Amino acid sequence: MLLIPCPYCGLRDESEFVYGGPARALPDMDAQTPEAQHSLYRPINPRGPLRELWYHSGGCECWITLTRNTITHEFEDDLS
Amino acid sequence: MGYSALSLMGHAFRGNTQWPTLIAAPDMRTIYDIVIIGGGGHGLATAHYLAKIYGLTNIAVCEAGWIGGGNTARNTTIVRSDYLLNGSFALKHFALKLWEDLTQDLDFNIMYEPRGYIDLAHSDGELEQFELRANAMRLRGADAQILDRSALKARIPLLSLDMDKRFPVSGALFQPAGGVVRHDAVAWGFARKASQAGIHIFQNCPVTGFDISDGVLQGVQTAKGHITCKQALISVAGESSAVAGLAGINLPLNSINVQACVTEPVKPALDAVVNYNVGLSYLSQTAKGEFVLGGATDGYASFARRGSFERIEDVLARAVQMFPFLSRLRLMRHWSGTADITADGNAIVGQTPVSGLMINSGWGYAGFKATPAVGHQLAELLATGILPDLIAPFALDRFALGAEQDDAGIGPYPWLH
Amino acid sequence: MSRFSIGGLIDRDKTLTFTFDGVTMQGHPGDMLASALLANDRHFVARSLKYHRPRGIMSAGLEEPSALVTVTDAFGSMPNLKVTEVPLRDGMQVSSQNAHPSLERDRAAVFGLGSKMLSAGFYYKTFKWPKTGWAKTYAPLIRRAAGHGGIDPEPDRALYDKRRMACDVLVVGSGAAGLSAALIAAQSGATTVLLEQDHALGGALLGSMEQIEGMSAVDWVQDARAALSQLSNVTLKTRTLAFGQYDHCLIQAVEAPDEMTTKAILWKIRARRIILASGAIERPVVFAGNDRPGVMLASAVRLYIRRFSVGLGKCAVVAVSDVEERNDTVAALNEAGTKVVAVLDSDVQLVKTKGRHHLKMVIWRDSKGRRHRTPCDLLAMSNGWSPTAHLFAHMGHSLRFDVRTHSLLPSDSDGPLYPVGGARGVRDLVGCLQDGKAVAHHVMAELEMHKHLNLPRAMPTPAPTKRFQSATQTGFVDLQNDVTRADIAQAQAEGYDDVELTKRYTTLGMGTDQGKTSWTNGILEIAAFGNQTAGNVGHTTYRPPYSPVSIGALVGAEVDTEMIPIHRTPFHTDFARLGCVFQTSGHWLYSRYFPQADETMTEAVTRECKAVRQSLGCVDMSTLGKIDVQGPDALTFLSRMYCNAFAKLPIGRVRYALMLREDGYVFDDGTIARLAKDHFLITATTANAASVWRYMQKCAQIDWPDLDVTLTSVRDHWASLAIAGPNARDLLAALDPDFDIGRDAFPFAAVRQGHLGALPVRVFSVSFSGELSFEINTPAGFATALFDRVLDAGAKWNIVPYGLETLDILRIEKGHISVGTEIDGRRTPHDLGLDQLVSSQKHYVGRAMLERPNLKAQGRAHFVGLRSEDGHSPIPPAAHLCEAGMDSQGMAQTCGYLTAAVHSPTLDQPIALGFLDNGHARMGETLWAHSPVAGKSVRVRVGPVCAYDPRGDRLHA
Repeated sequence: MLLIPCPYCGLRDESEFVYGGPARALPDMDAQTPEAQHSLYRPINPRGPLRELWYHSGGCECWITLTRNTITHEFEDDLS
Repeated sequence: MGYSALSLMGHAFRGNTQWPTLIAAPDMRTIYDIVIIGGGGHGLATAHYLAKIYGLTNIAVCEAGWIGGGNTARNTTIVRSDYLLNGSFALKHFALKLWEDLTQDLDFNIMYEPRGYIDLAHSDGELEQFELRANAMRLRGADAQILDRSALKARIPLLSLDMDKRFPVSGALFQPAGGVVRHDAVAWGFARKASQAGIHIFQNCPVTGFDISDGVLQGVQTAKGHITCKQALISVAGESSAVAGLAGINLPLNSINVQACVTEPVKPALDAVVNYNVGLSYLSQTAKGEFVLGGATDGYASFARRGSFERIEDVLARAVQMFPFLSRLRLMRHWSGTADITADGNAIVGQTPVSGLMINSGWGYAGFKATPAVGHQLAELLATGILPDLIAPFALDRFALGAEQDDAGIGPYPWLH
Repeated sequence: MSRFSIGGLIDRDKTLTFTFDGVTMQGHPGDMLASALLANDRHFVARSLKYHRPRGIMSAGLEEPSALVTVTDAFGSMPNLKVTEVPLRDGMQVSSQNAHPSLERDRAAVFGLGSKMLSAGFYYKTFKWPKTGWAKTYAPLIRRAAGHGGIDPEPDRALYDKRRMACDVLVVGSGAAGLSAALIAAQSGATTVLLEQDHALGGALLGSMEQIEGMSAVDWVQDARAALSQLSNVTLKTRTLAFGQYDHCLIQAVEAPDEMTTKAILWKIRARRIILASGAIERPVVFAGNDRPGVMLASAVRLYIRRFSVGLGKCAVVAVSDVEERNDTVAALNEAGTKVVAVLDSDVQLVKTKGRHHLKMVIWRDSKGRRHRTPCDLLAMSNGWSPTAHLFAHMGHSLRFDVRTHSLLPSDSDGPLYPVGGARGVRDLVGCLQDGKAVAHHVMAELEMHKHLNLPRAMPTPAPTKRFQSATQTGFVDLQNDVTRADIAQAQAEGYDDVELTKRYTTLGMGTDQGKTSWTNGILEIAAFGNQTAGNVGHTTYRPPYSPVSIGALVGAEVDTEMIPIHRTPFHTDFARLGCVFQTSGHWLYSRYFPQADETMTEAVTRECKAVRQSLGCVDMSTLGKIDVQGPDALTFLSRMYCNAFAKLPIGRVRYALMLREDGYVFDDGTIARLAKDHFLITATTANAASVWRYMQKCAQIDWPDLDVTLTSVRDHWASLAIAGPNARDLLAALDPDFDIGRDAFPFAAVRQGHLGALPVRVFSVSFSGELSFEINTPAGFATALFDRVLDAGAKWNIVPYGLETLDILRIEKGHISVGTEIDGRRTPHDLGLDQLVSSQKHYVGRAMLERPNLKAQGRAHFVGLRSEDGHSPIPPAAHLCEAGMDSQGMAQTCGYLTAAVHSPTLDQPIALGFLDNGHARMGETLWAHSPVAGKSVRVRVGPVCAYDPRGDRLHA
C-alpha cells in the first residue's frame, strides 16, 4: 500500500485515495475536436516520474497533483 | 524427433541427455523479411502461423528477456469468449477453436482443459445482463448457458450459495468451452514449432531503435545488431509505450499492475473457472493442485511488477465468500504483471502510421485467451498486407473516429478498466 | 522414546497428547510438532509429491521441504503444514498426506520406478492424443495424484483479524544480530517492534553452546528478552512471521497467537527503518538418496538435541563442509549419546544412501577413491549456508552471487531496510552481535535519535574452500517437487537455460517451501550444467510471502455480511417494519418490494404499480446523489458540466439534465434545481453518485480553479421520499404545507422550500414514474416522522410504499433511461433519443468529442420501444433482435438487443426497451426477439420508447 503525501493531511495510506490518472488538463471549453482528442488521448505513460492526480476521498476531499516514479513508486513531493 | 510417450521412453533409456533443444541458437542475419519484437505468446504465435500458413520463415523474433517471460508467464491461464460486443467475442471465439487443436498442431501438450467458465451474478438484474451475453454468444455460434442456483450447486458443490452473504449469488453464466491452458507451454510450444520451421528466435535481445525514412520502416536496431527489414511487429504488452515510442508512435494507454496469487497445492476440489463480480476475483485449480487467483488492476500506473497487496486481500476475501474452505489454505506466492490498458480497455492491433510497422498492444489483462487468434490474424496481415476482419475493429485510429470497443463502457480512463 | 530426561527448552511438568495417523503420542510445551514426532521416534512422516518417496524431517524450520502433514484441531483441518513450523498443542490430530492406503504402503510409490520417464516436463511431451485425451483422461488422473493434502470442506469456524502498527524501528528475527540490534534501538528510545516467527526468541542461539558476555547463549537470550520486556517503547511478538516488504516501508506479518481465541492476525506495520535479521538457511548436500528419512541438516540435528532434548539415532555419520560446524555437530551428537561412526569432510564424496523407510547406510568415497559403506541411522549433513534476504529482495533489489561466501548476498543497503548478520552472510556469533549493534546505531543516527557512533560492520564470513561434490545425477535438489540434478541437466540440454525457464520447466523451487533449501544448490547446478558462472545465472524473482500465510488472516474479520459496509437509507427500519424485501444494489440495501400477506413478488409489484397509476404510492429516493452548488460562478460551472441549456432556468424551477463524459458519451442523468440566483441543487443517479461528485470536484478544483463555486455533497443530509400518483397533490395538501401547492403555484418541474407541518422540507415536483409526483426531502433525522405522516395522511387514498421493482416497471412504461442498462457508457444523446437536451449554443464537457465521425454517423444503434406483435406473447428478457429466425445451428444475425422487458401492469401487455441498429428509422417494423437461453423467440414491433402517456399529461395533473 502506497503512503501518499497529501499536502493538506500529511502521509496517508493509499486506501484513503482514489486515483485520477496522469495529470491531463481538460481542453479549453471552445476547443475543436482534434485539440480535444489530443488532450484526451495524448499518451502519458512514462517509466519514471509521472505527474498524476489523486483524490483524497477519505480525507480532505481535495484533488492533489503529485509526482511519483512509476518504477520505484517513490513520490518526489516533499511534505516539509 | 517428435514428442511422444515413445520418445520419452527412448530418451529415458539414454538418461535424458539427448533431447533436442527447444529452440535453435542461430547467428543473427542482417536481413529478415519480418522482425517480431516480443517473444511472448502473441509474438511467437504470429511467428508460428507465418511459417505454418504462409511458409514465411525468414523471420526474427527479438525478445528482451526470456521467451514467454512477460505476461504470458504471469497470467491466470483462463480462456473464454463471453463477450457482448461482437469484436471482442469473435476474436476470442476463434481463439477457442484454435486452442482446441493447438496441442496437436504444435506437437506440444499445452494442456487446454475446457473445464467450464462460470461467471457469478449477484442479483437478478445482473443475471439478466449475463443472459444478454449468453444469448449473444449462442446466436453467434458459441455454447453458453445460464445456471440457476440449483444447477450451480450441482456443478460446483463447494460453492457457497448461502444467502447470508454481502453479495449472494443469484445464478451464473456458464461457458462450457471456457477453461484453462498451461501458460508457459503456449510460449514454448509456439517457439519450438517456429524454430523448427527455421524462424530465428533471439532471447536477451532488446530492440533499441527503428530505422524509418519518409514514414516507411527500413530496419530495426537490436542489442545483437542491426536488422534490415520491410516489416516489423511490436508485441510487447506492458512495454508498448516505450517500444512504440522509439518509432514515434503514440498509443493511448497506461501500464498498470495486475496482481495474481496462488495457494498451496491440495487435492482436486474445484473443476471449473469461477469469477466473482463485485470487485473482481477469479480462480481455478491447477493440475498440480494450487488455486490460482486474480483480480482487477491496482488502479494506478506502474512498471514495478509488484505492488498492491490490498488487491490480493480483496481477491482472497471474495474467493473466501465463494469457497469458505479457502480460508484454511495458505497463500503460497503472489506476483504481478504490467498490463497495457488503453482508453477503451481493449486491444490496439494492426497498422501504425509507420508503413511496414504493425502494433499489437493494449491487451491489458485479457490477452492470454486471445493468443492463437491474434497470432493467426497478425500473420495474415503481415503475409498478405490485407487487414483481416477479426482484428479490424481494434485499429489504432478508432479513437479518432469514435469507434471505441469499450466492453465495460468505462470510457477513456485506463486505470478504471 | 528418544527424549532425554534433562535439558532443553521444554516443560516436562506438563504433557501434551497428540496423534499421528491415529497413533497416540506425547510431547511437552515448548515442543514443535517435529520435535515431538522425533521424540516419539517418528522420522518417516510424508510421501513426496511426484515419486511418492518416503520422506522424513530434514530441517528444524520454515525451510522444511518434505515433512508436510494435515493438522486437525478444534477449528477443522489444515493441509500442508510443515511439522517444523507447528507448535505442539494438546489434542492435535496429525495425519500424513499424499499416500494411499497408508504412509508405509503407498501404492503410488510405483511412480518412483519410472522416474526417468517422468523427467522434467514429461507432461508437455505426451498425453497429446486423442485430442480430448488430456482434458478427459490424463488431466484428471494427474490431478488426483498431485496436490499434497486434501481440503476440509466444512466452513472455517476460526476468527481472524487485521491490525496495524507504526514504529521507528522494526527488527525481523531474534537471533544474535536481531536481539543486539533491538536492544540498541529500544534503549535509544525508538519505538521498536521485534518480530520472531518461532514461539521462542533466540533463533540459532537456541542450538548454540557458545558464550555471550560470559553467559550461555540461551541465558543471554533470556536476559535480552527481560530487558526488552521492561521497556514501554518495545513491542515484542513471537509466532509472528514477517512475510513481505511492500511499498513505503510497509512490512506485513501474520501472527498466530498462542491463545486460541483468534487464530491468526495480519499485521500491517509501517516502520521508519527495518532491520532484517532473518538469519540463514543451511544447504543440503545433493547426492543420491539425500532425501531418505534419517538424513538431516546438521544445524537441525544440533537444535533438536540441544533445544528439544531429543535423540535422533543410535549411530550417525557427520558430513559437514565447515570444520567448526562439523566439530559442533559431533559434540552435539556426543551430548545426545549418539555414536558418531564417521566424520566426513568435503574431501570425500557422498555416493548414496540405503534404507527402505529409514536410513540404514551411507555409501561414500574417500579422497583416494575408495568406497566405504557405513551403516548408520542418522546423517547430519551441511554444504554451506544461504542468507535469508527475501524481504530485502521483495522490493526489487536483486541479490548477487558472492564467490567468497559462496552464496546469494544482498547488496549493500542504503535503507530503509538493512539486512544484518546471517541475512548478509555473517556466520560467526561475534560478527552477528557486532553487525546488529552497528546497524542499529547507524539507523538511530539516521533517524536523528542518537549520535552516530560509526561502529564497523562485520564482514560476511568466507565459505570453506571445498564443498561436497555430487557423484551422480540422481540426487534431489528440490525435495518437495522431486527435482533431481538430472532434471536440471536436462533443462539445460533442452535450452530451458534461463534461470526462470529452468524453474518453470523443472518446477525447481516452486513448492510450498519456496525453494528455501534448494535454490542456491539449483543455481550452482544450472551453472555447472550450463557451463556458466553462478553469478551469471542470476536468480528468479523473490516473491512474497516468504513462507505460506493463512488466507483466513489475509481476509480478516471482514467476511460474509461484513465484507463491505452496507449502506442503508434513512427509511430502512421503517420499511423493515412493513415487511419490505430488500435487495443489494451496489453498496446499498434498497427496498425491492413490499409484499402483503403471502403475495408473490409479481403479485406485489403488480399491485404497487396499479396503486401508483391509479391513486398513490411512495418510494425512497434517498440514494440519489445530491450536490449543493453555490457561488457567483455556479451557473457557469453547471453549464459546462451538463450538455443542456438552462441559463434561463428561473429560481424555483427544476430541469432534467444530461452529463457527458469527456469522450462525448452519456455519463449520467439527473435534475438541476435552482434554489436561488447562485444556488443550485443537482442530483446524480445512485450508481454514479460518487463518480459524479468526484468528477465535479476535479473540474472545480483542478480544471477551472478560476470559477468561484463551492460544492457540497448533501446526499446523506436528506431523507428523500417521492409520493407519486393522481392523488399526490391532494396528499401534499393534507401534509399541511406552509407554501402554495396549487397547480399553478407549484407546477411540474419546480422546487419549493418550507414546512409540512413542523417538518422542514424541500419539495421537488419531478417524476420518474410518469405520474404526478413530489419528491419530499427532509433532514435525514426526520425520515421516520415524514414516512409516518405520509402513510397516515395517505391512508385516505390507500397509499402503498413501493420499491425498486415497481420503480423499474414504471420507468420502462415511460421509456426513461436507466444507468447500467441504457446508460452503458457507449451511447450518445442522439442514440438515446435525447437530442433535444443537447445545446448547440454553449460549450460543455464532451462537446468536441461528440463531433467525432462515428458518433455522428447514421445507422448507429438507437434506443427504441418494442411490443409483441400479437399484443400478448411475453417478450423474453435479454433477447436479441434479429431480422430472421434462427438457422439450424441456432444462430442468427443480430441487429440489436433488449435492455428491459416486462409485462406492463398498466397496459396489461408485454413491453420492452432496447437498442436497435438505425432504430429511429425503423418504427413499425417487425423483428424477431430471440432468447436461445430461454428457448423463446417472439415477433416484436418497433415503436417509440414511451408506452404510456406519451404527451406527459399526467405529470401536470
